[in-house]
Amino acid sequence: MLVKYLLATIVAGLFAGILLTPAMYVRNVPLILHAEEYENAGGHEHSNDAAAAATAAAPAAVAPHEHEEEASPALPFGRFGNTLLINLVAGAGFALITGAAALFLGRRITLQNGIYWGLAGFFIFNLAPAFSLAPELPAMPAADLATRQAWWLITVLLTAGGVYFIVLRDEIWAKVLGIALIVAPHIYGAPEADDLTSSVPPTLASEFAVSTLATNLFFWVVLGTALGWAIQHYAQSELDA
Amino acid sequence: MAATRTSTTISLPLASRLTTAVFSLMLGVFIIYGVGLSHSETLHDTAHDTRHSYGFPCH
Repeated sequence: MLVKYLLATIVAGLFAGILLTPAMYVRNVPLILHAEEYENAGGHEHSNDAAAAATAAAPAAVAPHEHEEEASPALPFGRFGNTLLINLVAGAGFALITGAAALFLGRRITLQNGIYWGLAGFFIFNLAPAFSLAPELPAMPAADLATRQAWWLITVLLTAGGVYFIVLRDEIWAKVLGIALIVAPHIYGAPEADDLTSSVPPTLASEFAVSTLATNLFFWVVLGTALGWAIQHYAQSELDA
Repeated sequence: MAATRTSTTISLPLASRLTTAVFSLMLGVFIIYGVGLSHSETLHDTAHDTRHSYGFPCH
């Protein structure tokens, strides 16, 4: 087991996750909060809010530790704390997947080429799925959740395969196959809601789609570069052994 | 050209990389499933803003 390599990827992921949090708070989170003002009682509760309100209302009171019975099932770190925690974990997760891909392929992520690994990750996990399934605000109409998740997952896998065939294979057939893999889920089409009327203003939705893509581009560029730096500094000896 | 190409590859044989690669991939996939796709209510509510911001299908 290449322990230093694993630790280096996790460190890079945590670093990118930390930086993602303030970046999200510039545009994305204010837009989410704004959209939630239009969200009626549609069965979706934002217990992050409830948790924050409860802590603010009774700061001196001893909080009951009955998580199952609380109205809010979210972890009790407040909205910002929860988001920071999840971003740290997600950063590590995406870093581990990227590091694993490089190991499988026998490629080395360096400070110089790290940005390209990051751009590939952004394309695979964000840009390609968003092309047909735009990032949604709360209260926007959408098709069945499981169907959209399945489409998202399949699109990510096909796009990853497509990027591999286009970037890392020299044969002409591989380039053609790569393009076909990337295009296929969009020709098939993402699941769409039957009724597209929404209480969320369209301006908010378009602002959100652009701001999330820009934020995630930032995240992936930081992650790729940090991966290159961390692997070069902490795991070089393992890879040269 | 040849020099740049060798510096971006790993000379370590696949057999020595495979365990780490599989472990790292499984851990990463497990984490991303939990953050982005799991239907657990606790995970959904905790990860809510990140899921929306990241473009994971939500709700």
